[in-house]
Amino acid sequence: MAETLRRVLNLGTSARSGEEDTAEAGPPLLLLGGPGSGKTALLFAAALEAAGEGRGPVLFLTRRPLQSLPRGTGAALDPLRLQKIRFQYPPSTHELLQLLCSAHEARGPAPSLLLLDGLEEYLVEDQGPQDAAYLAALLLDTAAHFSHQTGPGQGCGLVVALQTQEEGVSGDALQVSLLRRYFPAQCWLQAETPAPGQHRLRACLDPGGLGPRAEWCVAFRPNGEMTITPWPTQAGNLSLDKGSSSGGQP
Amino acid sequence: MAAALAGLTLPAVVEELLSEMAAAVQENARIPDEHLSLLKFIFGPSAIQALDLVDRQSITLISSPSGRRVYQVLGSSGKTYTCLASCHYCSCPAFAFSVLRKSDSLLCKHLLAVYLSQVTGTCRQLKVSDKQLTDVLFAEKKQKA
Repeated sequence: MAETLRRVLNLGTSARSGEEDTAEAGPPLLLLGGPGSGKTALLFAAALEAAGEGRGPVLFLTRRPLQSLPRGTGAALDPLRLQKIRFQYPPSTHELLQLLCSAHEARGPAPSLLLLDGLEEYLVEDQGPQDAAYLAALLLDTAAHFSHQTGPGQGCGLVVALQTQEEGVSGDALQVSLLRRYFPAQCWLQAETPAPGQHRLRACLDPGGLGPRAEWCVAFRPNGEMTITPWPTQAGNLSLDKGSSSGGQP
Repeated sequence: MAAALAGLTLPAVVEELLSEMAAAVQENARIPDEHLSLLKFIFGPSAIQALDLVDRQSITLISSPSGRRVYQVLGSSGKTYTCLASCHYCSCPAFAFSVLRKSDSLLCKHLLAVYLSQVTGTCRQLKVSDKQLTDVLFAEKKQKA
């Protein structure tokens, strides 16, 4: 689902080319970042963006209700859009698996976007890599089923947020590399040196071999408002996908 | 990193081989010998085992009125494994070990058998209710728990 996220990240930009408004879902995307790196705010912005596309509802899975609605996420908090976002709160891995396994039993229009926040909370109970793989594979299978229902050219996107450890603690490296097999597109959120009164992050989107990496600056004001601007490219560093180490590998 | 990314998508050469096989099967109702040797070259002993599973009609495509589908493969040991239809996943130990953990093979024999049965059109079809399909998908989880 690299495309919805790319549109969200491009909202603050005037250069918004028409070709990005395709309904193509794009590959499943894994959103990675440390604690408090704005993953939920970006997921919610993606939900609002997809809800405004005039397609099916958005299914937002998370272990617990959002503490507050993120602000300044591009699209206004239009009640019509909010109505299209369906939150479900599976309390355990077991319940999440059950929800995914039975997704085809639900009636009504198929979702156009499937979001899962806090995947790490559902992985801790798991034992081995095969359990994590089955959860990831079932997420893909559920999105594929929704795509099948919505018909060709209008697939259901999938964005999953995973909290990574602070750098230096690489205990979850194996898990991340396993998940990356199932999610060809990734977006890394990395904290930058804070500006006064602001919490700034660098968002690096790798759309999974379908195009070059792109980077944005995501800033949060103390009141929680989010602003997104393209990452300022330094002179002579325009082709930033190869040389820069900004991929944020843990 | 590149290897990890490529881990669960079939390389283009395999995709190409499978679609060539499908075309040949449509024309001659059998897999040409040169395709078989290429298959053995890429997948090693798994290729023979997978072809054996196809011959014995061990692959069942389970579908429900919702349109959701899942494969079940009856392994040579008599155990049944679940393979997802939309992405690479098989519940067998070889998939967990060789594909996920060690990354030294692309597929297990069951997943390869699923692809080959698609090519040859020889998988058994089983229609179940939506509820029963949920149980098939969910049972996969419970067996291991």
